[in-house]
Amino acid sequence: MNLLLLLPALLMIGLVFVWPMIRYGWLSFHANSVLTGLNPVPNGGANWIRLLDDQRFWQDALQTTRFAGVSVGLELLLALAIALLLDQRWRGRGVVRALALLPWALPTTMMALGWRWIFNTPYGPLERLNEFVGLGPLNLLSTPMWTWLVTVVADVWKTTPFIALLLLAGLQTIPKDLYSAFRLEGGRPIQALRCITLPLLMPYVLIALLFRGAQAFGVFDLIQVLTGGGPAGSTESVALYAYLNAMRFLDFGYSATAMLAGFLLLTSAMLILAMLLRLSGLMKPVQP
Amino acid sequence: MKRRLALWICLLLVWSLLPMLWQLISSFSTAESLVNGSIPFLQRWTLVHYKELLASDPPFWRYLLNSAIVSALTTVITLALAIPAAYGLARVPLQLRRVLRWITVAAALFPYVLLFLALLELARRFSLGNSLIALAMPYSGLAMPLALLLLTSVFESLPRELEDAARLEGLGLWQRLRWVLVPLLAPATASTAILVFLFAWNEYPIALTWLSRDELLTLPVAMARIAGSSIYSIPYGAYAAATVLGSIPLLLLVLICQRQIVSGLTNGAIKG
Amino acid sequence: MLHLNGLGKRFGEQWILRDLNMQVDEGECVALLGTSGCGKSTALRLIAGLDRQDEGSIELDGEPLDSIPAERRRIAMVFQSYALFPHLSVRENLNLGLKIRGVSPAQRQQRIETVLDTVRLREMADRRPQQLSGGQRQRVALARALLRDPRVYLLDEPMSNLDAQLRDDLRPELRQLILQGTQPVLYVTHDQQEAMALANRIAVLKDGRIEQIGTPEELYKTPASQFVASFIGRPQINLLPVDKQLTIGIRPEDVGFDPEGMPCRLISREWQGASQLLLLDSPRGALRMLCAGDLSLSEPLHVSWLTSAEHRFDAGSGHRLAE
Repeated sequence: MNLLLLLPALLMIGLVFVWPMIRYGWLSFHANSVLTGLNPVPNGGANWIRLLDDQRFWQDALQTTRFAGVSVGLELLLALAIALLLDQRWRGRGVVRALALLPWALPTTMMALGWRWIFNTPYGPLERLNEFVGLGPLNLLSTPMWTWLVTVVADVWKTTPFIALLLLAGLQTIPKDLYSAFRLEGGRPIQALRCITLPLLMPYVLIALLFRGAQAFGVFDLIQVLTGGGPAGSTESVALYAYLNAMRFLDFGYSATAMLAGFLLLTSAMLILAMLLRLSGLMKPVQP
Repeated sequence: MKRRLALWICLLLVWSLLPMLWQLISSFSTAESLVNGSIPFLQRWTLVHYKELLASDPPFWRYLLNSAIVSALTTVITLALAIPAAYGLARVPLQLRRVLRWITVAAALFPYVLLFLALLELARRFSLGNSLIALAMPYSGLAMPLALLLLTSVFESLPRELEDAARLEGLGLWQRLRWVLVPLLAPATASTAILVFLFAWNEYPIALTWLSRDELLTLPVAMARIAGSSIYSIPYGAYAAATVLGSIPLLLLVLICQRQIVSGLTNGAIKG
Repeated sequence: MLHLNGLGKRFGEQWILRDLNMQVDEGECVALLGTSGCGKSTALRLIAGLDRQDEGSIELDGEPLDSIPAERRRIAMVFQSYALFPHLSVRENLNLGLKIRGVSPAQRQQRIETVLDTVRLREMADRRPQQLSGGQRQRVALARALLRDPRVYLLDEPMSNLDAQLRDDLRPELRQLILQGTQPVLYVTHDQQEAMALANRIAVLKDGRIEQIGTPEELYKTPASQFVASFIGRPQINLLPVDKQLTIGIRPEDVGFDPEGMPCRLISREWQGASQLLLLDSPRGALRMLCAGDLSLSEPLHVSWLTSAEHRFDAGSGHRLAE
């Protein structure tokens, strides 16, 4: 009976999450593009051989990983600061919390558009400010280095509130008595942060790390709208590349291969990360 | 000490709100004043962007309506399936529960954009493209893991004796769900509903590939399409106005329901 | 009349209840007494139909209950946590079951008003459970059980969440409301005093099996084992090992002063008003003794007891030895 109640939901999850992976596995051993009249024709491992040799795919994988690593790292730091701030008692905390949450709630594509205007050369506010400094145009959206930074900033801006909330929830599970006891032991607030807060917060940091890491690796909306992968492919992500393969080059077989490869890369990265964390003993749940 | 705290709070607000504020200002600025800083202050302002947006074909509110339809439908379907499922999940034997929980967590972590191609194939095979109702199907599936995680943790935290008492009172399974469990879960259900709604409202890649007819686009796709429409001159004033209009429903939602959102996210984190 | 025939329940390989044979007559109250984890609550859940037994059967008035789901067994249970629905007011809590069972609105109204008077909660009828005190919540739970019009009452530690004072106050009320009906009552508790005060018979459970079943007096006077002896009666019985085969038990109230008796040293004393409890160091080991509260003591103390007051147990198995 209980299983019966579960069935529709599980079927739905299976259809949406499991079936695509099976389908990609099958498609990745077929040519399915304009050349085959959009019909799948078995081509052995040709897609996979092509992928191994595909500079652009590996370049994208590297870029995506770098993007995810730097964004999530910055987000964690910033979120920790915000969570510590919101954990204190002050008037109007609820309102500020709601306002700080706003960036997370807005559609990514919408703010991506907003960022394009803000980082616009020469009319965006940043370039205008820069005019006063007089460094000459920065070309924020046409210089690879700057553009990459812009995507990181946009991502950090949007997802930091989410992590901050996670960490805030973690902070609120730490009994305040611990801090009192630590003070009576002669500890200073900054030491309390290192000796009490961070160790007890670690499980939440790890949850955030895994969750956001996976999401950031799948970055698509932001890149597609904000930079389109440019300039010169310098911000292209794996997901965007797979998308272009399917929707622009109409090569479904290869697109499926790229997505499956991306999925496998991500899974192995997560497993290695989880294993390292377990080895280092950080994964052990700390009961406050 | 107090002063430093206030300073940090201000910084936080500036960081969170300034980009949106800039959009607000831009949306009321004339096209001329956006590119020319020397125009006098009083001559910079206009409502023309909003007028254009609402007079365009299809009018902008159409996208909001589309998004609202898909999101509401997704929320209803997801909850209708997730509530009984979460109830079942909280009551299957521990071993099986652990396996199912791992699957759910893995699915919730999954960067779902990678699924778009297979889902697009399904849409083509079964002619589900360009239908807002059909779009709610993959959305419900995508939101299901999160909803399951949130609701299961609440079901597990309910004392078993409450349901036992209801059984002894003569309530059958559906009666227990209807009269005891669902009302008890109302707060958790509300926060789950809001998170699912937000997901559907913001979803982009699936909508991008499933919808092509102008009058059916959801808000995120419509925004992106405006972005891609003209390569040389991008109508930033109109953009900004669209951003502002598109934000208003969410702004209200977040401000009104912030407590539910926070508790939803927090529950998911603590127990998930 | 409720019949339990060889009832057993296990979790995995572990039997948490085994060979439960018992009969509860109409209007009789049987207490299931034991430490936590002895299987006493499990027995109630099996009878209520909330869990399914792994062996044995349950009969009510000669009719087997085993295939009837909990919803239709017409059995009322009062839970330790009371299990009141927190989203409903007192009145709605009482109303829900009646409505589901198809009682007409007029009748519902009338029965609820009556029961609210019985448990003296009329003024509280529109409050939520969390706005009530522990004792009031407990009375709501009792009222709900009464409205069920059950064939059997099951009470699972109904008073253990209340403080001692309140428990004493509620005991007569419980007796009047439930124990005077004609239905069989099963009362689970870990408090021997409560069991002695309320039950017609007591079944002492240990590790899922009945150690002894009998009237409170039988249990007190002829405990079948060391376990029962130390569970029943307060202050606790003295268990004095004699040799490898024999342990004798002597109740603190049976120990008396006797100039000819054993010389003892006084270790500590608890003055309880009417009586006082002495902890003595005797040649045969530590000894508890109860004596009048106004007695002034002067050492050395000499104590003894009648041989007829001794309980004799097998030192190995703990079983009572024949007289």
